[in-house]
Amino acid sequence: MLLHIQDLWVGYQNRAILPPITLTVEPGQLWAVIGPNGAGKSTFLRTLLALQPPVAGTVTRGEGPIGYVPQRSEVDPAVPQRVIDLVRMGVERGWRVLDPLAARRNPAVQTAMRDANVTELARTQWRRLSEGQKQRALLAQALAGEPKLLVLDEPTSAMDVHAEAAIFNVLERLRTDRHLGVVVISHHLALLAKQATHFLLLDKDENLALVGDRETVLRHTAFIERYGQVLDRGGRHG
Amino acid sequence: MVDTTSFWASWELFRDAALAGTFAGAMLGALGVYVLIRRMVFLSAALSQAASLGVATAFWAQVQGAPPWLATPTLGALGGTLLATAIAGIPDRTGRRDGLLGAIYLVCAAGTLAIGTKIVQELQDIESLLFGSGVAVLPDDFQIIAWLALALGLVQLWLHRGLLHVSLDRDGARVQGLPVRFLDFVLVLSLAAAVSVSTRLLGALPVFAFMVLPALAALDVAQNPTQALLISAFLGALAGLGGYWLAFAASLPVGAAQTLVAALLVLTARVMHFTASRILAWQAHRHHHRLQHQAHEHGPDCGHEPVAHGDHLDYLVDGHLHHPHDGHCDDHGHQ
Repeated sequence: MLLHIQDLWVGYQNRAILPPITLTVEPGQLWAVIGPNGAGKSTFLRTLLALQPPVAGTVTRGEGPIGYVPQRSEVDPAVPQRVIDLVRMGVERGWRVLDPLAARRNPAVQTAMRDANVTELARTQWRRLSEGQKQRALLAQALAGEPKLLVLDEPTSAMDVHAEAAIFNVLERLRTDRHLGVVVISHHLALLAKQATHFLLLDKDENLALVGDRETVLRHTAFIERYGQVLDRGGRHG
Repeated sequence: MVDTTSFWASWELFRDAALAGTFAGAMLGALGVYVLIRRMVFLSAALSQAASLGVATAFWAQVQGAPPWLATPTLGALGGTLLATAIAGIPDRTGRRDGLLGAIYLVCAAGTLAIGTKIVQELQDIESLLFGSGVAVLPDDFQIIAWLALALGLVQLWLHRGLLHVSLDRDGARVQGLPVRFLDFVLVLSLAAAVSVSTRLLGALPVFAFMVLPALAALDVAQNPTQALLISAFLGALAGLGGYWLAFAASLPVGAAQTLVAALLVLTARVMHFTASRILAWQAHRHHHRLQHQAHEHGPDCGHEPVAHGDHLDYLVDGHLHHPHDGHCDDHGHQ
């Protein structure tokens, strides 16, 4: 088990915005968190990562570190940073950050950059990267910590189709080859329908939190009502 | 005309003061990188002004009969800074933190001036600590700032990765289990110590300037945040020492001169940054066109407008004159 969530109520200031959620992420699973804008997806993710407290319930982490890939807009373009600097930050764990040379010595940095296909961009400034390159750099940063579980917040928004497919290919390879668990917020249903093993469909306005494996969720009326037509067209939903 | 010879001839007279300015510039310059990255410039302004109020209060307490060993200006500055830090650290859910910091700044500035009028004999000191017009440093104060600069340098050497990580990516640091609160505490304590000691010696204006301007310049020219720390510390030291030289040469108040030197460094860095950006853009443009023309041959029907240029014919591509000859293509500049 990489992560177990038991009767988790997420929300703000002791007010839950979604029904309780219970799920377990195992190695090799890809959990897709979907729902309309403002559905509570990011709130769920932040609670899962202990970045904000739950209203009730528990989140139990299994063995091994978690890698977190935030949205690209969270990196300040006004601060000079090369890709290699960003990736090195991913190595830091706990009090090990007190060793000022730990990141330079760590071979995981180079491996992560190879896995995310950003080795060529090592000396390139963040602000000069394309959207797809930025996302791959953030993925490399998360991988540098040698995580067992990857959590990604909308990794492919504002990307073209090719860059989007490249990111999902990397995720698929990590999941199948290395048995990483993946939790990803995304709007790309066509790719998710092929690659996700499990879904969490959230809708704050409808007080809905549908949890299940791919087949169960894709056949569920709540999913078909919302995304059946979108999936038939093979596209994204907003 | 600036007389450099007489500056160095008089060096012995104000060596301690000039070196104190250099140390203050270096440590505040480095800490300023965190201030800018965390977007808390208002906090640094409020802290330097709170330190001023602390110094003024210490003078006033001495006049009122408080024991001099207790009411020392340095302790007053530290107390003022820590109190302001504590007030600024109160959780704020209204989203008006900048307003709170502005209020701290204004109250402290007004308080310093108000206390200054009550201790007329110390008025000169009050002006010094507000605008940095002091030129003398006591041996004890010099020792304090020298040791503090050394201590903060060692802290930076040891903790800069963690401090930068927490400043650049707070959520990521928390997910990765970094000791975020410890690192925050170290940074705030470093700021409080550096601001209080420096304000006591130099005044609020240069202290605020050292925390903003060298870092602004360093972030323009550095390749990464660690490099920015080093460059900013160097530029801060340069502004601290250069300010004394300018003050001597042009008969200016030291604090104002140090601020002006730091501002000049920002301007220089901006020009360098702009020039480097233009060069990079030009190189990218050249590279792009070279790639394009490896697969493109200019001629009467190539689709580009032919333009007579001197004794030959060029072709107009995106506003540039391209001259094909001997199997390659030269860029003859804008039309």
